[in-house]
Amino acid sequence: MANPDSNPSSGAAKPATPEMSRRGFFVKGTAVAAGLSALAAAMSPLRHLSADDLPGLEEFLQKHYKEMTPEDKTRALARIQEHVQRRFGVTAKIADPPPLDGVEFVYGLNISRCIGCRKCVHACVQENNQSRSPEIQYIRVLEMEKGSIDVESANHHYDSAQVPRPDKWYMPVQCHQCAKPPCVKVCPVEATWQEPDGITVIDYDWCIGCRYCEAACPYWARRFNFTEPQIPAGDLNANMSYLSNRPRRKGVMEKCTFCLHRTRVGRLPACLEVCPTGSRKFGNVLDPNSEVHYILKHKRVYVLKEEVGTLPRFFYYFDERGSRYREPIAPVNPKEAR
Amino acid sequence: MKRYGTFLWDCFRLSFVGDWRYHLWMTCLTLVALGGVYAYCQQFVHGLVTTGMTDQVSWGLYIANFTYLVGLAAAAAMLVIPVYVYRNLHLHDVVIFGELLAVSVILMCLLFVTVDLGRPDRFMHLFWRFNFPISMLTWDVIALNGYLLLNLHICGYLIYCAYCGRTPRKAFYIPFVFIAIAWAISIHTVTAFLYVGLGGRPFWNSAIIAPRFLASAFAAGPAFIILTLQVVRHYTRHHVSDDALLTLRRIVQVATIINMFLLACEVFTEFYSDTRHIASSRYLYLGLGSQNALVPWIWAAIGMNLIATTLLMLPASRSLRTLNIACALAIVGIWIEKGMGLIVPAFVPTPLGEVVEYLPTLHETMVCLGIWAFGLLVYTILVRVSVPVLAGEVTHAQRWSAPNPRPLSASSWRTTHS
Amino acid sequence: MKRAQSFWVPLVLFAGAGVLALNPVPFESPVVSVTPLPARVTDSAPVRQPKLVPEYRVAAFTYQCSDCHRIIPSPQETLRSLTQHTEITLRHGLNTRCFNCHHRTQRDAFVDDWGEPIPWNQPQLVCAKCHGPVYRDWQAGSHGRINGFWDTTRGPQTRRKCIECHDPHAPPFPPMRPAPGPNTLRMGPQEPPRHAAEHDPLRVFAPDRAPKPSH
Repeated sequence: MANPDSNPSSGAAKPATPEMSRRGFFVKGTAVAAGLSALAAAMSPLRHLSADDLPGLEEFLQKHYKEMTPEDKTRALARIQEHVQRRFGVTAKIADPPPLDGVEFVYGLNISRCIGCRKCVHACVQENNQSRSPEIQYIRVLEMEKGSIDVESANHHYDSAQVPRPDKWYMPVQCHQCAKPPCVKVCPVEATWQEPDGITVIDYDWCIGCRYCEAACPYWARRFNFTEPQIPAGDLNANMSYLSNRPRRKGVMEKCTFCLHRTRVGRLPACLEVCPTGSRKFGNVLDPNSEVHYILKHKRVYVLKEEVGTLPRFFYYFDERGSRYREPIAPVNPKEAR
Repeated sequence: MKRYGTFLWDCFRLSFVGDWRYHLWMTCLTLVALGGVYAYCQQFVHGLVTTGMTDQVSWGLYIANFTYLVGLAAAAAMLVIPVYVYRNLHLHDVVIFGELLAVSVILMCLLFVTVDLGRPDRFMHLFWRFNFPISMLTWDVIALNGYLLLNLHICGYLIYCAYCGRTPRKAFYIPFVFIAIAWAISIHTVTAFLYVGLGGRPFWNSAIIAPRFLASAFAAGPAFIILTLQVVRHYTRHHVSDDALLTLRRIVQVATIINMFLLACEVFTEFYSDTRHIASSRYLYLGLGSQNALVPWIWAAIGMNLIATTLLMLPASRSLRTLNIACALAIVGIWIEKGMGLIVPAFVPTPLGEVVEYLPTLHETMVCLGIWAFGLLVYTILVRVSVPVLAGEVTHAQRWSAPNPRPLSASSWRTTHS
Repeated sequence: MKRAQSFWVPLVLFAGAGVLALNPVPFESPVVSVTPLPARVTDSAPVRQPKLVPEYRVAAFTYQCSDCHRIIPSPQETLRSLTQHTEITLRHGLNTRCFNCHHRTQRDAFVDDWGEPIPWNQPQLVCAKCHGPVYRDWQAGSHGRINGFWDTTRGPQTRRKCIECHDPHAPPFPPMRPAPGPNTLRMGPQEPPRHAAEHDPLRVFAPDRAPKPSH
């Protein structure tokens, strides 16, 4: 800083004196101390970091999900369970259900029947342990105008006394688990990928939070944790899995996973279970006896934003019959319950 | 190797030597940079909620600055091409400043990307699983870091040779210079492809983005260099000829004309066809209903760019004062148009048609200013170090092996205005 | 004295350190606290819970349908206002004849196309008489509400019957109050979308399209 030679007029012929005098050392030391103290003061907000904020050594060194051995996974699940216990005081059951063989999941949504009540949104929030503040909701219900399938004319914030409103129709949108997912294409660290049963999953411990996938998704299906998600401990769903609904941390992406902790053990997703009109249909499209197979075969089905070419696994359909209306339909296995 | 150690030590010590104006500049930059560190630490504690970004507008000021600065870095090639390809020797003495600018600007780019990450502690995941060649971000990582290393090598080698008092060997830097030319075009093309490759965002999914990037980069970059070269000329003894500035003026002139033409192409394509896909352009230029926060910005940017283009086309801009005004207008206008006018509108409306506007927060702005200050700090230090070393005033022999070792002095600083 | 010129640098830096240590720009979180959800939002019960047994509750007594209707003879035809069961208003579209569904004599049952009784707990067979396509869809699972397991080899699946959603006397699915809309981080004020220019033919059907065009 204050070098003895800062005076230019004295720079020419200087006798060979040691550059470091006691005064110069003091001055330099003060300057260094000043710089370091300013840096420390600038970094002082870091004192608010809690031990929970920083990853432990094991989490830091954890491998990508696809490279984890079964022992690695067991240790990771135990670590997550312990974290949930510490953070929420809830003993969670954290599993890692593998994809089922011969299963490709497909979702059908009957837009003749959806009334826009938004119960699916909140059932999903509860099931998947999404943050309540700031609010994260995987499903967004669009109130569409007559004659329009363009989302530009949709109303996201309808709040009428009654739904369905006349001359509107309702289109819930969530992750379509596309067969050619642009989010998987763009992720620089392969933190998101598509599983064999069609579900696009995220390894929350691998995501670096660059949000490129969020920019890439044509259906605005991915969500980012801008801060630590807040979930009331009493509302926590303790039935969790590694790739779907375990509580996330700040700085990572999340999205709908077709409730894979339920669907991979044969259950229906939470959004479907709560729908009062039964507009949502889910199942294995490879099974010729499933509802979704029937729907895709016989109904007028369409794909949202088909022009982006992502081949979604989420199909909107009407109740009128499609091109096979001359064919007799005998149900393959008439299902009469109870 | 020992000489390299003393070289670095001497450079370190030399960067603190200067008169009061230099110290004032550096102290101010340091304070702003520390403000940025402070704001970033708060972001590290609370998460990206300290910024104005949302799920709807998930990239904001950080990526806007990153995009602009990648363009500035690419513009270093604009100095190199005339000298090494066309043998235009007017610029020969100032090429080094373009490359030093590239180094400091790429550091700024890397910092902007790092502060934008949700989990910067996980950046090493890029080494373990690198989605190359499918993800354009991986191309960008390679391109930016490669460009940084190239320029560090070229500048470092030339300066180190001057420090050691020997002539640089052509084989050690000429090939890298030519690689750097191609690489400079590539870094900005790759950055453009980050956006162009997203089919779900029609505002970006257009072939004109990459050429527009390059045109605006080659306008803003040399304009920036014109201004900084005049600062170098004013405050050091390094010779910067007016011919160099006028050659750069020619480059900026052509680039701004092309930039304006490409803007006209874009505007026509969007508004004449008037499809539903132009909602983002409509938001940018006209606003959507009462949500029109970007409209004054983009029209100001277009105005600035038009004035700059007109000034540059007039012979009046051969005078430095008019040239400086034109350059400043071009720099700011292109910053607005490329940063806020390119990144933010693609997110409004969202792919599902929702309109959520974006406003950067104070913390976000402090981090951005801090990174800019850091970049200017690095650039000032690099210029401060390279001018005396390249002039032969600071060599290893003089500093360490002569009978009267010469102290580092401020004698290479100009004390009177020329 | 000239050497004192740069002494201010450490002082300025110390001052800066002091200012920064005092947290000059604190972070105020924009995250709003959660408003509790109304209970109807998470209620997953079907909109109707009919008991699927031929019973009728009056005052505190529960009667079987046949208790009264064994004694009271049925008129030849209906389409008259009822003296009992006054809470029922028949709004079933073109279907204005009670005995299209109800058995004329065996009031504990419905009636099929040949006059044979259909048990009270199989209402879907009644609906199927007229609503063939929907019944086929219901059988295949494409219509109606299903709960439980998609993979019936792993667990039970509950298929709702028609009248668990549709009031048989006024079948259109009742409208309901929607759950509150999204309130995401830094959402800002949201206005309803404005669409359609003056010459859009659909403007005839758009009660809340603003007059000024924007798209």
